[in-house]
Amino acid sequence: MSTLDITVRDAATGPVLEISGELDFASAPRLRDLLATLELRAGQRLVLDLAGLAFCDSSGITALIAARNRAHAERAGIALAAVPAPTLRILAVIGLDQVIPVYPDSGAATAAVLTGPDGP
Amino acid sequence: MTCPFGPEPDPRHGGGGTAADTAFAVLLEDSAEELYEHAPCGYLSTLMDGTIAKINTTLLNWLGLAREDVVGRLRFDDLLTVGGRLYHETHFAPLLRMRGEVSGVALEIRRADGDRIPVLVSSTVKTGSTGEPLLIRTTVFDARERRAYEQELLRARKAAEEAARRAEADRARLQDALSVLQQSLLPASLPSIPGVETAVHYHTASPDRLGGDFYDVFPIGGDRYAFFLGDVCGKGPQAAAVTSLIRYTLRTAALHDPDPVAALTTLNAALFERYTDGDPRYCTLVFGILEPDPDDGRLTVRLASGGHPPALVLRGGSPRGGSLRGGSLRGGCPRDGSPRGGADFLHTPGGMLAGIVPEPVFTTATTTLEPGDCLLLYTDGLTEARTSKDRTALYGDDALRAFAAGQAGRSAAELIRALSALLDEFGEGLDDDTALLAIGVPARPSPAPSPAPATTNR
Repeated sequence: MSTLDITVRDAATGPVLEISGELDFASAPRLRDLLATLELRAGQRLVLDLAGLAFCDSSGITALIAARNRAHAERAGIALAAVPAPTLRILAVIGLDQVIPVYPDSGAATAAVLTGPDGP
Repeated sequence: MTCPFGPEPDPRHGGGGTAADTAFAVLLEDSAEELYEHAPCGYLSTLMDGTIAKINTTLLNWLGLAREDVVGRLRFDDLLTVGGRLYHETHFAPLLRMRGEVSGVALEIRRADGDRIPVLVSSTVKTGSTGEPLLIRTTVFDARERRAYEQELLRARKAAEEAARRAEADRARLQDALSVLQQSLLPASLPSIPGVETAVHYHTASPDRLGGDFYDVFPIGGDRYAFFLGDVCGKGPQAAAVTSLIRYTLRTAALHDPDPVAALTTLNAALFERYTDGDPRYCTLVFGILEPDPDDGRLTVRLASGGHPPALVLRGGSPRGGSLRGGSLRGGCPRDGSPRGGADFLHTPGGMLAGIVPEPVFTTATTTLEPGDCLLLYTDGLTEARTSKDRTALYGDDALRAFAAGQAGRSAAELIRALSALLDEFGEGLDDDTALLAIGVPARPSPAPSPAPATTNR
């Protein structure tokens, strides 16, 4: 049984999802479900804070892409913060780091000036 | 008549007028004779030859016969059906003679009106003071209820067996349908390419054997061939449906424009258009073109990657650190000056997965395979295989490169065999689909062998 904890908080830029534990085939649907009902407005930036992410498989990657699609559908931006090295390596291999902006931490992700759908 | 069953109980309770006493008084009226005649089972006694000497009313009523028609006139086996008679003669009677008793044998008795009653028969032989057999005592129990119950059980069992047969037929039919679908996802065999050897291995983690990994090799005209290998997000039937779309899109795209980036761009457009709703479907893959040079045996590989792990190139020639036995220096250095032997990634950094954004970047790479060289394409099921119980230790790129270096110089088939053995070693650590495709140029036949020794050891 994989463990996944998601805490939602509001920052000036929009909702911040603090995701910790294992994001895999068993748990990824929970993130997908939460994204579907998350309140997100045009011009906001959805930040996924992955500082506590212990494991992320391809289902987790798919959930990150679903988050990006949800943000785009709302004309909002999206950013990843504090991506652990193993997951960052996967993002680089599949080129997703060119699709979703990555910040060193949630402070940087929520402080960056909003200039477009995906931030600066 | 004297009571053969011992003294009747003597009421020890004094007083009278209570309900219990009344009931007891009724029981006292029940004689042994009454019990014999109207017991809830049939009784009969026969001579040793089977002639019926005594029979109770219960059994006569079951048979629908009068006492005078039976006693002294019929034998026990006359009461049985033909089959019962046969069984009585061949089994029941011999067993009774041998053991002196037989218990609970299922037989059928024949009523006067022709009906049959299933019964359970027990017999004992009464012997005289010197042990000589005197007569046979037999009890007959009505087994109609029991038989009905048994038949109900039998019916239920037959119904269960029929249901199981139907389920098995359904399973077989589904398996047939699945195998047809599986063949639409992966080529049954790879084309034979002059001067090129290909080998594949496919492992699926899905119990229905519908995987999310895919590969193909096919001719695109002239002497050229296209190949691809990739990984669809997700597993099982949903992934397989996308795999099918990818395979036929790429085949069509390659025939239209074999340029690797053009093929991947067409695929991206098809995926992006098809799966833009809330359930993203994407893939990572490598697509390439093979151009054999029949003159020098080299094979030019031009490929593009869409966010897929980099291919590995295994260079034949003398293995690194290997001794040059026999003084034959094979391999040497290729024209580009890179060292022969070993394995290196053919990096394609910056390539993006297909199906997510409208205009992704695909990264190209080109290499030339000399005789003895091999190109290995794989999906991340291999490199992400767990090498420990938890998820902290994965096989990884470095281990794969080191393993491949140890296989340098081997044929494509040998390389795939070694890798599939490696996958087997992962056991439960391999929980994702894994596809492997090796494209090699067979090493040239060795130069003329050194002269054979004059003598050979036997």
